[in-house]
Amino acid sequence: MYFLYFDPSVGAMIVQAIVATVAGVILFSKNLMYKIKTFFGLHKHQDDLYEDINVDDSDVDKK
Amino acid sequence: MENTRHTSSFRDPSGFVFTEDNLLKRIIFPIYFKQYNALNDSGFFNKLFHNQLLVPHQELKKSATEIHIQPEQIPFISYPYEWSFNQYKEAALLTLKIQKYSLEHGFSLKDASAFNVTFHNGQALFIDTLSFDFYNENEPWRAYKQFITHFLAPLLLAHYHGAQSLKMMTNFIDGIPINMLTSMLPFKTKLNPFLYSNIHLLAKFEDKHNEDYEGTANPKKLSKKAQLNIITSLYDYIKKLNIKEYSEWGNYYEKTNYAQDAFNYKADLINSWVHKLNTKTLIDVGGNDGTFVRRITHKLDTAIVCDIDNNAVDFNYTTLKINKEKHIIPLVLDVLNPSAGLGFNNTERDSFLNRIQQFSPDVTLALALIHHITLSGNVTFNMSANFFASFSKHLIIEFPNREDSWVQRLLNTKGEFKAHFDFYSEENFEEAYSKIFTIVEKVSIPNAKRTMYFLKLK
Repeated sequence: MYFLYFDPSVGAMIVQAIVATVAGVILFSKNLMYKIKTFFGLHKHQDDLYEDINVDDSDVDKK
Repeated sequence: MENTRHTSSFRDPSGFVFTEDNLLKRIIFPIYFKQYNALNDSGFFNKLFHNQLLVPHQELKKSATEIHIQPEQIPFISYPYEWSFNQYKEAALLTLKIQKYSLEHGFSLKDASAFNVTFHNGQALFIDTLSFDFYNENEPWRAYKQFITHFLAPLLLAHYHGAQSLKMMTNFIDGIPINMLTSMLPFKTKLNPFLYSNIHLLAKFEDKHNEDYEGTANPKKLSKKAQLNIITSLYDYIKKLNIKEYSEWGNYYEKTNYAQDAFNYKADLINSWVHKLNTKTLIDVGGNDGTFVRRITHKLDTAIVCDIDNNAVDFNYTTLKINKEKHIIPLVLDVLNPSAGLGFNNTERDSFLNRIQQFSPDVTLALALIHHITLSGNVTFNMSANFFASFSKHLIIEFPNREDSWVQRLLNTKGEFKAHFDFYSEENFEEAYSKIFTIVEKVSIPNAKRTMYFLKLK
């Protein structure tokens, strides 16, 4: 059960199916481009201020 | 306890925040016990603490009717409309990161408000411990729209229309209305599949279903994999988002009328005064990119560095990320219009002045600021003295004399009213400030037409 103290909006719940499909296509093509670039050695490593989305759990397990 | 309940803590029935013995604590009600116990027992809370994603807490007591926890105390809570672009961006990325991590562990964020995040120890930190709920298989993300209106919307507006757009969050504390957002975005955003689906299509679906009072429309199912695709693509997009702006202050120190030796002299002077007071906390009102705070060698616990200019604050923030500095909190602040009390009763989001009075910094720095307040803002010396006196006991203030080129420039823009500002002089400044402060030290900076004052509240 959810405690709905704000309106998630029905439209926003339904639209996510389409958003996810588009996101899937974008991610797939990005991955493909990445692989192609890496294959040809074109991939530039960028120094990022922000980490990637994954949380590194190995640190936690070591603790 | 109801009396000490925090005025912002009323939306979520799972519990609320209150103050006891000057400490911020959280009460949790039985309606949330199942979730709380699962988050604890599965070790997920600990994982979040360990990865510095969520503010750590300790359990104080547990009974059949309520649980009390005490989160790590955060010296100063900043709000979204006080963040620079990159801070806002980091808060958005943090929220997505937590949602992905939660999904992988069988939980989901039940809300994605920008007010769930603040800045602490040099990074964005999630502070709403009760935002986590169980993930129900194949259910779409309930907080999706909230994420769009609280995070993606202001960031996009800042990208297309400048960082001032972030201040719109002062009016829309429940997020930028999606219809307004679509009308403000350029047409080319409709050609971008990511923006089209996340913004324009969302707006269309909203319109289509907002007459559905009976809730008959059946929300489609969404696999976890599909939801993860949404989260990841949002993350990728926001991570790359930037603003194209240059600042009038950006290269301030390069074009300023300070010779290097005068600059060093001023920095050393501030350093010695801060040291003398054994300062632990300070606020630099108009601190640009934090240059002077970084020259302080004395160890500070917390230094809030405010500036009106997003670029300066952004530069300050990226510098502290690179240097891994933990004590600096950069904030966007207009001294002539600090954030007001907002929301229900005007107390849901506390005003900047209330928060800074509570924080009560040992020292306030006001460097190269008084001429802007006085000559651009037309604020009298008496008014600014009272303002500074309202939140801290010591004031280090720099007074640029009439002969200073910046002062001259500001005076010349006054045209025929220039004579009205004849009061702008060291004597009048001292007279007004001496009513409230004692002048502990006064030093003229060599090779600069500026004077430094070290003042103590009477």
